[in-house]
Amino acid sequence: MNEKTVAGLQCSEVLALLSEYLDHELDSAMVERVEGHLLGCPNCERFGRSFGSMVVSLRRDSIASESVDSELVMRLLTQIDRLTTEA
Amino acid sequence: MLDRQKSDGSISDRDLMVQVAAGDRRAFEQLARRHAAAILRLTRAVTGQAATAEDALQQTLLSVYQSASAFRAESSVRTWMLTIARNAAYRIRAKSDRQSLVEERLMELGLGAGWGSGDPETIALAAERKDTLLRALSTLSVQDQEALILRDIEGLQASEAAALLGIGERALKSRLHRARLRLAAALRRESEMSASAQEGPQL
Ligand SMILES: [Zn+2]
Repeated sequence: MNEKTVAGLQCSEVLALLSEYLDHELDSAMVERVEGHLLGCPNCERFGRSFGSMVVSLRRDSIASESVDSELVMRLLTQIDRLTTEA
Repeated sequence: MLDRQKSDGSISDRDLMVQVAAGDRRAFEQLARRHAAAILRLTRAVTGQAATAEDALQQTLLSVYQSASAFRAESSVRTWMLTIARNAAYRIRAKSDRQSLVEERLMELGLGAGWGSGDPETIALAAERKDTLLRALSTLSVQDQEALILRDIEGLQASEAAALLGIGERALKSRLHRARLRLAAALRRESEMSASAQEGPQL
């Protein structure tokens, strides 16, 4: 990775700020600098875009709404049964 | 004003503030001397270093001087100054956190995640497949998984996730960022493995 300085930020600084940028946790001045860097640095722009898509995929509803494996539930229920009858 | 004179005969903070707002340099000096120690104690606690605590004190005094006319008597002058100081100290700490983040192998984590590689798109493509994403997630450390699960999958606020994990918000954000980079690296590994297993490109 050849480090560049674009919009006053080095590539490694942009790398360090990517999550805060994606999560809207940077102040507007910093957002401007990060975006300035991304506009002028194809390496960071491509990585940032892909990294951002990954986070979006992770945040997809389908994962959060995924139900627990029914086998696991059965196993847990069986254990609970056993414990309660032993007692 | 009732508190024009304190019992020891010195002028009150509020009256000093009025004078500072009017541009009185000596009043400002008096105010600064009166509160510097308390400010330093607080900023030192936040930044953990004498040098950066002093930077924070300096920034605090500067903003007190510049925004003296904006002071409203809703809080005491002391509380107002400590609030400014605390904010300054946290800003400095955040900055040095970011710097040490870069030093602490963050670049290596980035390289593993495909930063600067010819195919950074791999992580986005691999993440689109739910099974691949979950498999990659399961290869990470518990700490990394916790951060990703709470923040990204469950959608908790950073403050909520931090409180839940018993860590500070800064630490949470740093942990989350690193966890995402490690997830990206894991996704690259997963997609390499499935590519070699299938002998050829896949869609
Ligand atoms: Zn760059």
